[in-house]
Amino acid sequence: MISERTKDSLGRIFMGAARSRLPARPDDACEIVERRDGASPKQARVVVVTISSMQFRLLLLLHFDDDDAMRDYYVSDASRPLTDVFTEAANLCCGAMNQQLVGHFPDLGMSTPYTLGGQCMAYLAELKPDHVARYDVSINGAVQIGATLCVCTRAPLDFVAQESAAEDTGGELELF
Amino acid sequence: MAAQYGMVAAAAVAGVAFIAFVAAVWYARSQRRIATRVQTQIEQQREALALAEARHDDEQRASSGERDALAAEVARLTDELEQQHARFAVVRSELECALVRGGDALQRASRIAEEAARLKRFADTFERWHEQMTSLMAQNQDMHQKNQELASIVSHVLIVSLNASIEAARAGAAGRGFSIVAGEVRALAARSQELSRSYRDSLNRNDFVTAATFQDIQAGGKMMAASLAGVESLASQLHDAFERAAA
Repeated sequence: MISERTKDSLGRIFMGAARSRLPARPDDACEIVERRDGASPKQARVVVVTISSMQFRLLLLLHFDDDDAMRDYYVSDASRPLTDVFTEAANLCCGAMNQQLVGHFPDLGMSTPYTLGGQCMAYLAELKPDHVARYDVSINGAVQIGATLCVCTRAPLDFVAQESAAEDTGGELELF
Repeated sequence: MAAQYGMVAAAAVAGVAFIAFVAAVWYARSQRRIATRVQTQIEQQREALALAEARHDDEQRASSGERDALAAEVARLTDELEQQHARFAVVRSELECALVRGGDALQRASRIAEEAARLKRFADTFERWHEQMTSLMAQNQDMHQKNQELASIVSHVLIVSLNASIEAARAGAAGRGFSIVAGEVRALAARSQELSRSYRDSLNRNDFVTAATFQDIQAGGKMMAASLAGVESLASQLHDAFERAAA
């Protein structure tokens, strides 16, 4: 149902969005490696955001631990919990993906993000996904974030994202 | 001496006579040249006149041709004007009909825009459903905490039942009955622990499926609202176009 070039395009769109939106500062190094072992990232918390269209729904799941490394990197205002700050980053990342996808699928909507326990990932199969891709994201070599892309569709999906599209600055601010 | 005077006088007379002769010859030649020049000028004037007359005749003929062509063109334009007038009458009649239809279409375009704007309020319904998700998830979270507490109690009961079994064993024959009870309690605690784990898994599954489903509903609502905004915008553009055409 989902062509290989579509899977590749989704991967590139995600990587572009993650590189431009997940680092707290633009100059921070962001390395993304796709996990080939099929195992879910092990972080304890996960932020879920959904992009829906008439043809498919795409879930972006960003896994994180509420640990010192994450807090040191993301929390500049000590009065704000890490979950709030990271949820905003996840929302921006998904917004950037949404902006890229809307060029190929004109009817798209994006949910507000929600945070769940990492144990929930064991039930990803309940959604009967047609495509799942997992990534390890490392920022400055110190902050480790996991990512899962999950696509469910009832119609064939076939599109090719422009090579540079995912790298463009994108991602309008989604208020929530 | 007198002879000398006579010769001088004769020479003078001869000189005057010669000069008079030369003057008469020069005058006669001069008159002939003037006459010749005048004659030439007259001929040139005559030729120029003839040329001008010929040109005038040509121009007159050309002018006559142009006048005829112009008259023909005027006649053709008159015909065309009449035809255009007839066509204009037809077009005006059609335009009047179109304006009547346009008025109807204007109303329809306006109605579509209003309907699209009204339907966008569906998004509020989806948001309401999404708020329900937040409430459901809060309940789930509460159940997670209660289940965790239950698991902690069950775990404690297991330890207590194990201790009871040890104490019963120490008591020997006297503790045999107590040992059976402790074993039953341990078995019940183990079953409770299993049930608690299963309950925790169900809650995790519920969390995930509920969040994913309600997010899909919320995102779908936004998608529909965006699509309806597009329809509303198109209907407004159509309405404006009809209004401009009617003006």
